[in-house]
Amino acid sequence: MTEPQNHNKRVLIVGGGIAGMQAALDIGGSGYEVVLVDRLPSVGGHMHQLSETFPTLDCAQCIMTPRTVDVGRHEKIKLHTYSEIEEIQGEMGDFRVRIRRKPAYVNWDICTACGACTEKCPTSIQVAFDRDLELPKTMRSGRVRHEGTGKAIYTLSPQAVPKKPVIDADHCTYLQSGKCGLCAKVCPVGAIDYEQGPSWSEERVGTIILATGFELYPLEKLGEYGAGRVADVIDALAMERLLSSSGPTSGVMRRPSDGKEPKEVVWIQCAGSRDPELAMPYCSKICCMYSAKQAMLYKHKVHHGQAYIFYIDIRSAGKRYEEFIQRAMEEDDVLYVRGKVSKVFREGEKVVVWGVDTLTGLPLEVAADMVVISPAMVPSEGTQALAGMLGLKVDEFGWWTEQDGNLAPLETVRPGIFVAGAGSGPKDIPEAVAQGSGAAGKVLSLLARWGGHDDQDAGHDELGR
Amino acid sequence: MKRIGIFVCHCGNNIAGTLDIDRVVEAIREFPEVVYAIDYKYMCSDPGQQLIREHILEDQLDAVIVAACSPSMHETTFRRTAEAAGINPYQTEIANIREQASWVHQKQQEAATNKAIETIRTIVAKAHYNQSLMPFYLPLVKRSLVIGGGIAGMQAALDIADAGYPVVLVEKADRLGGRMAELSGLYLDSDAAADPLGQKIKAVTHHPNIQVITQAAITEVGGYVGNFTVQIEQRTASPADQDPAGELVPYSFDIGAIVVATGYDLYDKKNLGEYGGGRYPDVIDGLQLEEMLRPDGPTGGRIVRPSDGKVPKEMVWVQCAGSRDPELHKPYCSKVCCMYVAKQSMAYKQQVPDGQATVFYIDIRSQGKDYEEYVQRAMEEHDVLYIRGKASKVFQENGHVTVWGVDTLTGLPLEVEADLVVLATAIVPRADAQELGQRLRVGTDEHGFLSEAHPKLRPVESLTAGVFLAGAAHFPKDIPETVAQASGAASKVLSLFSQRQMVQEPTIAFVDPELCSGCGLCIPACPYDARSMHEWQHIAVVNTALCQGCGACAMVCPNKACRVRNLTQGQILSMMEAYL
Repeated sequence: MTEPQNHNKRVLIVGGGIAGMQAALDIGGSGYEVVLVDRLPSVGGHMHQLSETFPTLDCAQCIMTPRTVDVGRHEKIKLHTYSEIEEIQGEMGDFRVRIRRKPAYVNWDICTACGACTEKCPTSIQVAFDRDLELPKTMRSGRVRHEGTGKAIYTLSPQAVPKKPVIDADHCTYLQSGKCGLCAKVCPVGAIDYEQGPSWSEERVGTIILATGFELYPLEKLGEYGAGRVADVIDALAMERLLSSSGPTSGVMRRPSDGKEPKEVVWIQCAGSRDPELAMPYCSKICCMYSAKQAMLYKHKVHHGQAYIFYIDIRSAGKRYEEFIQRAMEEDDVLYVRGKVSKVFREGEKVVVWGVDTLTGLPLEVAADMVVISPAMVPSEGTQALAGMLGLKVDEFGWWTEQDGNLAPLETVRPGIFVAGAGSGPKDIPEAVAQGSGAAGKVLSLLARWGGHDDQDAGHDELGR
Repeated sequence: MKRIGIFVCHCGNNIAGTLDIDRVVEAIREFPEVVYAIDYKYMCSDPGQQLIREHILEDQLDAVIVAACSPSMHETTFRRTAEAAGINPYQTEIANIREQASWVHQKQQEAATNKAIETIRTIVAKAHYNQSLMPFYLPLVKRSLVIGGGIAGMQAALDIADAGYPVVLVEKADRLGGRMAELSGLYLDSDAAADPLGQKIKAVTHHPNIQVITQAAITEVGGYVGNFTVQIEQRTASPADQDPAGELVPYSFDIGAIVVATGYDLYDKKNLGEYGGGRYPDVIDGLQLEEMLRPDGPTGGRIVRPSDGKVPKEMVWVQCAGSRDPELHKPYCSKVCCMYVAKQSMAYKQQVPDGQATVFYIDIRSQGKDYEEYVQRAMEEHDVLYIRGKASKVFQENGHVTVWGVDTLTGLPLEVEADLVVLATAIVPRADAQELGQRLRVGTDEHGFLSEAHPKLRPVESLTAGVFLAGAAHFPKDIPETVAQASGAASKVLSLFSQRQMVQEPTIAFVDPELCSGCGLCIPACPYDARSMHEWQHIAVVNTALCQGCGACAMVCPNKACRVRNLTQGQILSMMEAYL
């Protein structure tokens, strides 16, 4: 092991969601270099997909863009987006990290992000950012066709940082069949590069923060709720996209099957959570709050609509959270039904929800226009592989194991490696942000012990210590 | 003559969906000194910012106006953008045409467009008089004060001290450890509480960079971020002494940053008339049971009835006692009760295997890693009976404590004759939190919890620069959340201390010595105590570090000697003139 004074003071942060960005800004803002790696073309993580946030109903994009913009232009933060960690070796003070950048088929160095390629691309595709939603579109012939909400060359959102496009190789006509090539023709600077392959780079760092985040349990595994095959049964993140004013419907409430305004919407909580027999035994923590928010936003858009929320327990334990749920119930007339839904199926134009109201003991059937599922949160793909690379433990569900669940929630068992955000278990945004700062605090404390940064005049000697 | 460029943002449909952007751009091109105007989808995006930088150079602009969202969103963004192209940041202005035009007049395109044009016109008038300014640099004391010696305060102190900076840790009680020291065990590892906490206390007391002052209170806080002066008073007598006041020892410190970690209290049982108002000895609160469960507690860890010392055969826990009750008590959820009640009921069942444990709850809130599984264990392995329903009344008769409630799942009323009842009373801030908040100029909410700077994205900061929050003083929190937040607060302190010196915005007030008559009206008008009278010149002076540029002084000054840089009375009048 190297001596502390020779330790590398650069920091690797894996994951550019809100936790990773917060850690990066705290550390970069303190004068140390940060290497921030994200799998997606742009930073922002899941918060980037959200419509508005509880309990203030602030628009997620609005409060987050100052952060993403800061991360994007920060002189101490080196971004590796559209990239994945391939290998990490070494130990605290001297980690060597191999990063693989996926081919974007666009030369980002010369791209000006004018957007002409996306605009002209003739191939509509389903995009993960919009939860693979397909929406009806009326063709010139008058026929209605369902189309994905993105193009084969895309940026995640208009405010994306960095705002550079990538080509979806699986769906690009040129890359599949050699025909089309329209994006290359319209690009005014010749940035399209169909020959681009992956590239590798190596970074040396001294400490690591894992801010790898979460995903949603796939609807396909929830057979009782239609296994993702019932039209107009969508998951909560898809609903966020439908509610978002920068989403595929520009925030107009439309259901995917026929584009009509849904008059009755049912939210189903604990889909795959708190279900030790079939799925995950744990509570996913944030669903109660976002469902209340979504139901509220829905009611603000469809005043005469009816919103039902099926729940087991309402979990609104946070500052102004309980009051928020009360508001959903009392001011926006969201109908809360205590009971789990047993089955969801399609019947003609409707999605029928069978459940039971455990407070009256009576079975309940709702013929809804749309159903929103709150699936369990699960660790993001690749967490396990990263754990293997680092020799770290994850629990039986794949969440990072903290050094101590109570008193060392940010540390891992390996010195110099920290966790922040939902990668160690479901968390809401303020908690993820506090953890992002917390992990940054742990790192800053170490780096100061290793002698501080070069621009820092012997900072702590000023007081005679 | 200035050369002003105006950049109009569509903000997607946020602005362009309501306003007639073409008409706006056409109109503003005609304004005086405007040499360039253009619109773009998202000015804050990379290409949008690039557009601004290009035209600063191409059109030799010396002032930039971005017509977009509120300045609180992106003023800094655009100032930095323009600065990168060589323009002084204070020559960049925001015209708010989103919140103040398109959003508030969504269905009125004509009127909203007119309003946007007029808004930009006033900003052009202001920009004409804007001066190029330089920020101020102020000294920075790299010593931190942590208020509260519970787990939050100790964690923050350790993280800061480990980085090499001195920390003064002030604790009201005569020992460190806070509420955690009163607990019998933690949720998940219920035997381990004393030891890891003991290690933390030891680490704090032995740390060369931490000065612990127990039995002490903050009496005065002056100054500002980087340069606070804090007065502390310590009682010398131990609480056991005859004269509990003892002697008071004063301390004074120069402090750069403050972490507030004052923790919580329990809502007094006396307020809960429906549960006996604190009159019955066998109706206790959660912390009283914790004391009993502690191996070093008065009963040696055994649960007994306070009235007669007998082992209770039937115990009832009443959740949400004073929480989630907007009519009579606190409207909020106290967050930690569901979990500690599960822990306590399991501990009881381990001590008294044939005893009956019943928990009255509204919703079970076990949101945390392994928490749900923990509550399941209480139900399944330890046969704790969970009844969904609030207890309506608790009263003592015939040597029992009777609990009336309703089981909302069967709809039937329920009566339990218990031997001991535990109320999971609401968590409230410390009684003196509000007063301390005022001293630190940190706001509190209607319940007395300290207010964070932003509920989503700035959870560990207060709105007062240099004062950070950790733990339950901000809102009820469990231990892991408290510890993470404390490290977060430490991060903010370390970030601040990593600078050479403090940077202060120059858009603050100044006094024209030629015009000031020394009347002193501005001194009480200043809400930030940033004004004083010069000792011998008898004119008002501005403390540049404290001044926030609010302009209250400019309002009261009869001689127009007080002015705010880049927002002078002259500028405001010219803006009004442009508008009218």
